[in-house]
Amino acid sequence: MSETSAVELKSVVKRYSEILAVNNIDLNIKKGEIFGLLGPNGSGKSTTLKMLIGLVQPDSGVVNVLGVDVKKDPVAVKQLVGYVPESPRLYEFLTGIEYLDFIGDIYGMQTEEKKTRITEYLKALQLEGREGDMINGYSDGMKQKIALISAFLHRPKLLILDEPLSALDPRSARIIKDFLNQLKNQGVTTIMSTHVLEIAQAVCDRIGIMYHGEILALGNMKELRQMAKLPDSGLEDIFLKLTGTDDIKAVVEELAK
Amino acid sequence: MNWKSVLNLMQVERKSGRLIRGKKITKYHENRFLAYWPYWLALAIGIASGVLAGVIYNLATTADPELLSMFQEGTVSIFFSLPTLVLVYSLVFTMMQQIRLSGVKISTQVPYWLPVTWQEHTMASILASLMGFPLASVVFITSIITVFSVFIGQIVTAVLTSLAVLAAAFMASTITEVLRILQVRFIGAVYKSSGRAAVWVRFAGSLLFFILFYIGYFYVTSGGAVTVIQTIASAQTAAWFIPFVWLGISLYYFTYFTVTNLLIGFLFMGLSILFIVGLFFLATKLNMRFGLYEPPAITVSRGVYAPKTGFLGKLGFSTVEAALIRKDLKAFTRRRELMTIFIIPIIIIIVPLMQSIGPSQAMPDALLTIYRAMTFLFPASIMTMSLGSFMIGEEGQSAWRIYASPISAKSLVKSKYFFIVFFSLLVLIVTGIFGFVIYHPTVLYTVVAGLEAVFLVFALSALSLSNGISGADFTETPRPRMIRVEWSFLNLGACLAAGVAILAPFIPYALSSMSGLIPALLGGAFLDPFLALGISAVIAIVLAVIFYRIAISNAKELLKKAEM
Repeated sequence: MSETSAVELKSVVKRYSEILAVNNIDLNIKKGEIFGLLGPNGSGKSTTLKMLIGLVQPDSGVVNVLGVDVKKDPVAVKQLVGYVPESPRLYEFLTGIEYLDFIGDIYGMQTEEKKTRITEYLKALQLEGREGDMINGYSDGMKQKIALISAFLHRPKLLILDEPLSALDPRSARIIKDFLNQLKNQGVTTIMSTHVLEIAQAVCDRIGIMYHGEILALGNMKELRQMAKLPDSGLEDIFLKLTGTDDIKAVVEELAK
Repeated sequence: MNWKSVLNLMQVERKSGRLIRGKKITKYHENRFLAYWPYWLALAIGIASGVLAGVIYNLATTADPELLSMFQEGTVSIFFSLPTLVLVYSLVFTMMQQIRLSGVKISTQVPYWLPVTWQEHTMASILASLMGFPLASVVFITSIITVFSVFIGQIVTAVLTSLAVLAAAFMASTITEVLRILQVRFIGAVYKSSGRAAVWVRFAGSLLFFILFYIGYFYVTSGGAVTVIQTIASAQTAAWFIPFVWLGISLYYFTYFTVTNLLIGFLFMGLSILFIVGLFFLATKLNMRFGLYEPPAITVSRGVYAPKTGFLGKLGFSTVEAALIRKDLKAFTRRRELMTIFIIPIIIIIVPLMQSIGPSQAMPDALLTIYRAMTFLFPASIMTMSLGSFMIGEEGQSAWRIYASPISAKSLVKSKYFFIVFFSLLVLIVTGIFGFVIYHPTVLYTVVAGLEAVFLVFALSALSLSNGISGADFTETPRPRMIRVEWSFLNLGACLAAGVAILAPFIPYALSSMSGLIPALLGGAFLDPFLALGISAVIAIVLAVIFYRIAISNAKELLKKAEM
């Protein structure tokens, strides 16, 4: 694994019974990069992200994260990573602050640092005043904020975020986007999956488009435009063309009948 | 009311409980015959029991014709007690089912935004809670009485009883529906008024509710079904003003056929129907008003940060382990479905206590010995067994947090093991004090029983934890499973075997003190109590070490094959 790589996947395959979720993919993500993983539902994005943190074991291939083989030392990888799954289920019987306190301890943070950082994040994401409520009384957006804070809290070197901005209000979404850029300047790598293509286009340095478990296209916006032969288009047109789902007009007309 | 919608809604709610759990499946086809196996089984057992009772009846009355009238009278008296009996039992079981359905909110929210009327929604909910054990009991009872009635020539009475039994089960389910909605609203009001104490009010309130409920249940059932039937049969007509016995009363008057009785029978049948309709109307109205009610959020604290390890650090726990233990402690005091774990030891203390302070009579020595042993050994052991099997599965869908965090298998097992041992020892101390105060055992007995209980706690904790890891079930709807059924039985058997192995050196003592049971076998078989204690300790330590290691190895597998 090269020293500039944060994540390296080599010939990775994952199958669920007869469904091939990830089909022999190779991927290299550089340190300090914000990488977007796009694709239609069921294309293998979440499975790929889960394999990076050891939540799913590949059937074959190698997954290296920050120089560590995930299969050989998953605990060491988890220590370096901050993860937010799609629709995270939190411990709803804890209060927001208790949950973050728990996370801080799990990652071995010092009490003072933990306290300071939790306070800052709660303030930034406007959760102050509700931190003492049990999480089962939170809205989906508030739960998502708690999940994001728990990923950022221990200053991970790699962030793996599955639909990180879903359910967030515009202010919080903007804060998270800007914060990810700040972290990038500090050398933190971010891998995020999203269906909101404007976010991917605005935030990501490089984008990988997955389809049927394979990486169909990979590159920055300029490179993706060249691949799709759509020189002046946005990511949405490129995405639809590359994934072969540009039959939208016909589908809509059929539905409207 | 659209009955097709009602049946569809009901089936969706019930199906979630039947699906294969803990397995990744891409295709699922349900075998309808196998899906309804409890009812088929109940029917088969009911028919077989009916035939058996009929054959016994024939043999007995052929041998002694004088028994004929006694059998006839006894059977009819049982028949008209059955609706009230079924009502009581169904109420207990449907209530128990509701208590366990903590995740039901998620699975029952969908109908609220479908084009379904409140009547249909309420009816589906009532029928869904009737399904399962209550309906299987009804199938069993109706099949047994119908088959038996052929032998005794009481077919009409049996058919009427069957209908009344079904109506009674429906009535029970409707009452449960009313209580369920009221309880949600009441709890919301309590949270709101108790402020930051809400979490403790909820804990104490839930415990109190469970304890009263179980005491009532044991009080009703402790005399056995025969006593209950006798009580109902004799008291039913006197308590005619209570709507719950109207079905039984109408059956009584129909059975003893005269024109007046027939009219009274119809009157009470009409009243029963009106009462059921009224209950359904009330349940629907309550659902309309509070069905979508969300209890307010509970505020526990403001800005409190736990020290890195605190007291647990002094006991040798790392930050990660201390955090896990603290988290679990909060789970068991705040999650209603987990609070039930505290009920078992309390009930084990209360039930014998109630019996011993009942109608005053000297307790036989054998019974006293059993109660003494029960108080010292059972609560802690049962706590250990239950906690161990639930400790991993209780993480539910939030288990991804454990998988995604830098937690090693050793830390996970160490923290969970400590939690089980700590709580079980706490229970042992409390029940031990109770046992000492109530049953006045000798000091030697107290020391030996106490130490044996400690050995059981340490060994069974490791054993049940290792099983709990292997059989963990993270399903949360319609109720948290925590452990797969087959593993639950396996754990029960394994704990029983391990318990017997640990207690083996004391088995001769136990047998001899139980009113001289098989005394001839015991000649010279007694060990010195301290030697027996030593042997027990060695067996317990060996079992604890072996199963603790197995638990770690199981945890490694679990973390490796997260597949969340």
